[in-house]
Amino acid sequence: MNSFLRFIATDRPRFLILVLALAFVVFALTTAEFATLYNVFNMTQYGVEIGLLALGETLVIISGGGSIDLSVGSMLSLSGVFMGLLTMRVGINVWLAALLGILSGGLLGAINALFVTRIGIPALIVTLGTLYAYASAALVLTNTVPISGLPEHLFVLGQSKVLGVPFQVLMIFIPVALVLHVALRRTIFGRNLHAVGTNEVAARFAAINVGAVRFWVFTLAGLLAGLAAVVMTSRVASARPDAGVGYELQAITIAVLGGTSILGGEGTVLGTILGVLVITVLSNGLQLASINPIWQLGAVGIVLVVTVLLNQWLARRGLRLA
Amino acid sequence: MRALPLERTPQPGVLRARGIALIRSREATVVAFIVVLGMFLEAVTGRFLAPTNLANVLLNSAGTATVALGMTLVILTGGIDVSVGSMLGVAAVAVGYASAAGWGLGPLVLVGLTVGGLLGLVNGALIGFGGVMPVIATLGTLNILRALTFQLLRAKWISDLPPTLRDLGLGLALGVPISAWVALAMTLVFVYLTTRRPLGRHIYAIGGNIEAARLAGIDLTRALLFVYTATGMLVGITALMYVGQTGIVQSNTGSGFELQVIAAVVLGGTSIMGGRGTVVGSVLGALLVAEIKNGLILLNISGLAEGMVSGVLILLAVGADLLRLRGKRP
Repeated sequence: MNSFLRFIATDRPRFLILVLALAFVVFALTTAEFATLYNVFNMTQYGVEIGLLALGETLVIISGGGSIDLSVGSMLSLSGVFMGLLTMRVGINVWLAALLGILSGGLLGAINALFVTRIGIPALIVTLGTLYAYASAALVLTNTVPISGLPEHLFVLGQSKVLGVPFQVLMIFIPVALVLHVALRRTIFGRNLHAVGTNEVAARFAAINVGAVRFWVFTLAGLLAGLAAVVMTSRVASARPDAGVGYELQAITIAVLGGTSILGGEGTVLGTILGVLVITVLSNGLQLASINPIWQLGAVGIVLVVTVLLNQWLARRGLRLA
Repeated sequence: MRALPLERTPQPGVLRARGIALIRSREATVVAFIVVLGMFLEAVTGRFLAPTNLANVLLNSAGTATVALGMTLVILTGGIDVSVGSMLGVAAVAVGYASAAGWGLGPLVLVGLTVGGLLGLVNGALIGFGGVMPVIATLGTLNILRALTFQLLRAKWISDLPPTLRDLGLGLALGVPISAWVALAMTLVFVYLTTRRPLGRHIYAIGGNIEAARLAGIDLTRALLFVYTATGMLVGITALMYVGQTGIVQSNTGSGFELQVIAAVVLGGTSIMGGRGTVVGSVLGALLVAEIKNGLILLNISGLAEGMVSGVLILLAVGADLLRLRGKRP
């Protein structure tokens, strides 16, 4: 029992797998529809957009020095609006517009990055400013009216299935997560990122360009928000100017739940994916149990606090046992 | 931290150095921003300096300024509290129900302070005893308390409240809103606390270097419990103002308030890394935020653009300050 505790407590992914298994068993026993193959595959589609944002947030937070991105939700809204306007008002091809939408997300991220790395304003303040600015730009550009009537062939991204799995899970989320996983584990960029996040001064003495590393993680967070915007626009068949409101806190919650240290230097793609899974399973299970949707958010909060508390308590115990 | 008064009659050179330090302080930049923006708005619209308009600006800044006092202490310790908006929701529901039941002013104030203080204490306990990082703990309570607000209201509004709190929310005394007087009184308390009391010095010390503070024998848990509980109580006071001002409580009450408060604190010059900043700066920051919102209304700019203007001004104010003083401020 003690060695089992230590085994679970010393590693956040293992701990989350345990939480996930528990949630699965509870929901499977309490609601009939939960454990059907259809539901299990189907629910994953709702995790894609928030999952992409959380992956971007993970990269940013790993880079340390107080790095955090509060603007990911607003970037999602604004790049979705760009994409919608380019298609419906300018009249260019929807796939080109989607590509430009993703790139515009990257541009918004790069603007954050410039303020952080060039002028030296703390990331929390920069992205607090752009959280307001981007969200408001999306509202002004559309006059709060969602952009609908997009060409239907776009909807393949968010409303179709491949091998029984939602398209966006198999063809977008999993490939992106794999690329990021490899980038963090097997490339010079990943090594530099962890070095910068762990000890900025040491990284600088090791001739790592700290500013460049931070620039790229903020830009990547923007690109991922743009991608999430395209997926969401395709899934709900319209570009809503308030699509990403409140997503920033959820994205940060998931990254932290997945074991990303808010101090930087620590965090994995696998952990964040498990974090997304926990949140998705919880919302789906609570929904099927017809519990008021607002408690899905409440449950996220409870899981976050309890996980971190329990993990810390077990880690302390585990250390004493060791 | 303020300099200790070692000499009773400072030399002219010392006075001059202090003068330069004052001009270079972030507070001075914010005051300059407030004055310039005010002159601009008066010149363009001719309505900014009207007494009713100025009273409006003060009214709209009172709640933010009040909570910003506690948030300043929290950020000075190197923490953050993103749950203030959700706490405001729960506290406003409690005050709303008590007010609807016909409770008097005294008991209502007690309800606000108790509910706010207890919620803050939960944050403080998670952080001080549980060792949970402040962002994480308060992100958690943000979500939980928002759900709780919905649950308590059961998708209804609390309205048709008796006028018990209306004076606190909307009344004027000597031409200045009563809520602004309350905020001013709270500011004086917190200035005294941060500059004259050992606890204030402990709070700065924790943010400056937590290990050194621990080795110096400072009771970290006690200080952390205090700053989060105090923030909660200030949220309780703001809930009283809010209910008095709007006469209504909805399930989204206070949603997004946390960002407004954090914006006021960082605009006022408090370092997000902890250890540096003043409560006066945060109050000035809250005034600036309210002035910007007021300016947009006076200039007839669409409410939708408010975020764009506020966001860009936050970046401009902090960016200009950093560029101007690059390397000059210790």
